[in-house]
Amino acid sequence: MIELLGQVEMDFSQWLAPFSDRWWQETLCSALVGVACGVLGCFVVLRRMALIGDALAHAVLPGVVIAFMLTHSSGVVGLLLGALLAGLTTAVLVNLVSRFSRTKEDSSIGIVFTALFALGIVLISALPRGVHFDLKCFLFGDPLAVGTADLWMMAIIAPLVILIVVLLYHPMKISSFDPVVAAAMGLPVVLLHYLLMGMLSATVVAGLKTTGVILVVAMVITPASAAYQLTNRFWVMLVLSGVFGALSAALGMSVAFVTNAPTGPAMVLVAAGLFTLAVIFSPSHGLVFDRIRRWKLNLHIQSEDVLKAVYRLTESDTPRTVNSVAEDASMGVSRVRSMIDRLRTRGMMIADPNRVELTPKGESRAVQMIRSHRLWESYLVERAQQDVSSVHDIAERLEHAHGLADEVAAHLGHPQFDPQGKPIPPKPGE
Amino acid sequence: MTTITRQPDPPVAGQPEPIEVVNAMVAYEGRPVLRSVTFTAPRGKLVGIIGPNGAGKSTLLKAILGLIRLDSGSVRVFGQPLNKVRSRVAYVPQTEAVDWDFPVTAMDVVLMGSYASLGLFGRPGAKEHAAAKTALDQVGMTKYAKRHIRRLSGGQQQRVFLARALCQQADVLLLDEPFAGVDAATEKTIFALMDRLTAEGKTLLVVNHDLSVLDRFDLLMLLNQQIMAFGPTEEVATDDNLRLTYGGRLSLLDRADDTLKHAGPEMRDD
Repeated sequence: MIELLGQVEMDFSQWLAPFSDRWWQETLCSALVGVACGVLGCFVVLRRMALIGDALAHAVLPGVVIAFMLTHSSGVVGLLLGALLAGLTTAVLVNLVSRFSRTKEDSSIGIVFTALFALGIVLISALPRGVHFDLKCFLFGDPLAVGTADLWMMAIIAPLVILIVVLLYHPMKISSFDPVVAAAMGLPVVLLHYLLMGMLSATVVAGLKTTGVILVVAMVITPASAAYQLTNRFWVMLVLSGVFGALSAALGMSVAFVTNAPTGPAMVLVAAGLFTLAVIFSPSHGLVFDRIRRWKLNLHIQSEDVLKAVYRLTESDTPRTVNSVAEDASMGVSRVRSMIDRLRTRGMMIADPNRVELTPKGESRAVQMIRSHRLWESYLVERAQQDVSSVHDIAERLEHAHGLADEVAAHLGHPQFDPQGKPIPPKPGE
Repeated sequence: MTTITRQPDPPVAGQPEPIEVVNAMVAYEGRPVLRSVTFTAPRGKLVGIIGPNGAGKSTLLKAILGLIRLDSGSVRVFGQPLNKVRSRVAYVPQTEAVDWDFPVTAMDVVLMGSYASLGLFGRPGAKEHAAAKTALDQVGMTKYAKRHIRRLSGGQQQRVFLARALCQQADVLLLDEPFAGVDAATEKTIFALMDRLTAEGKTLLVVNHDLSVLDRFDLLMLLNQQIMAFGPTEEVATDDNLRLTYGGRLSLLDRADDTLKHAGPEMRDD
């Protein structure tokens, strides 16, 4: 294995120079295959079939070798037929093993594809002397081995796969989301499954010479997983995943030429990079936006707490300085200062070094907060069967959801007093 | 055994019954789950199917839908084999049957109901979108049309499933535990909707495990591998019938099946 890896070093400068016509052709075709991989990958990821994607890629080997033995050439048509046959055999065998034996599906996938891969390697060693089968190219990909026929295969298969997915978009969507209901509607769910397997095998074969068996599964699942982080719409996921697939392939080709690295690993690393960025910047689950959301919520809560503290101090006629407000709101002085600044720019507060006052707008917001707090306390006691003594702290947090206060009031029948008998201020304007 | 097979309404002449099951038998790995089930579900009726766990309630629905092969017997829908009238039958599975992280909105799921009549290459157009909107409105979910399904409550998810079946505009609806894990408001909405559907002449088969709402059904089927009783709810929902249905299997039959399958102790001569 180590010896094999040692052979991966390549020299592209000879006849596949960057930005030559040949380079453009190969990059364009790889990008097309990248789109197809990305689009099919969405189905693979959502149906939790990542392992079977890997299995298909490996199981293609015996099919390719048998085609090679029969035709004595690495002709594209034989290759493709061999791969399709091997791919469908894998899908059927996996199904049979898990149905007719006490084997779970993931284990049957593991058994079937390793067996087929091993068979492929044994077949290679049984090839007659003098016949050369380039296993290294098959395992790791080799852009130098890509011939004109291979380019044609890529240029035909990838658009064909995309076309089929576009045509069968709706049935494929429902049989991925809810196969039982799809079957009840009379859609050919099983046929669509094998069609997907067939398209996956063909696409894997198309991308094989550039990416290699071991890494090609990454081109299927990584762009799709990246797209899945970014959207809640299925068609958007397909489009994004296709774009990521194309980007990974094209950028990977470029990086490979610049750094003289093998193309397959370069593509996979670009895809993994895109995935990492998607995880970090995902608007719904991403780390960055999550932080921003929490930070904004904190600001909102703290500034409202300061507002309320000033209101309380005004009511009890205590002098309002930054220090007394900080004490009342149990917050740090510098924190309170920046909150006061924030409230001042929003027109809710007037502040000079010695004195802090609420504007009418600030006062009405503070009353709103108190109304919200007391309504939530009533709700907790009456509807959530909470003890009167324990509701204050919970209401301290809930009061910031004052947008819901009117609904709470309506729910409770517009109470006048909270559980402690304090008056609940009416809705502003009433 | 007090099997009641009286027909509540005589069938209208010339109009085939929505669902007719004759002598249906289903077995899993040689073990019968349904034994000679025969019944007719008339037009415009809300039929409740109740019985203990493992009684074959879901299996019966799936068998009617052709999702599970019958070992013997037959199912006819509107007097025809199911394949000819498939789009007239809608299925509402249990909500845990799907992946709620799938990237679709409530509206997307409802629109899937229209796929039944669109075929493989059809695309939902203005008509289908309008049907989906109406369906969402009927279950009170218009507000949530654009919401991702993961962000819906259990009751709302159930309503979306129901709306998908409505969007299919079927004449027969088969619902598997539509009240599992729903709030009181959703339960009320669903029953009101069911009443409206039956008033429109649709036939509903509802698998249910909650015995407290039995009186809402027009007809009741007590099922425990075989039909223990079937007929108008007030006649069927007797203590005796319920005890019979929930009071354990026909254990001798189970043991006989086990014996035949594994050649168990009962088979030995000594």
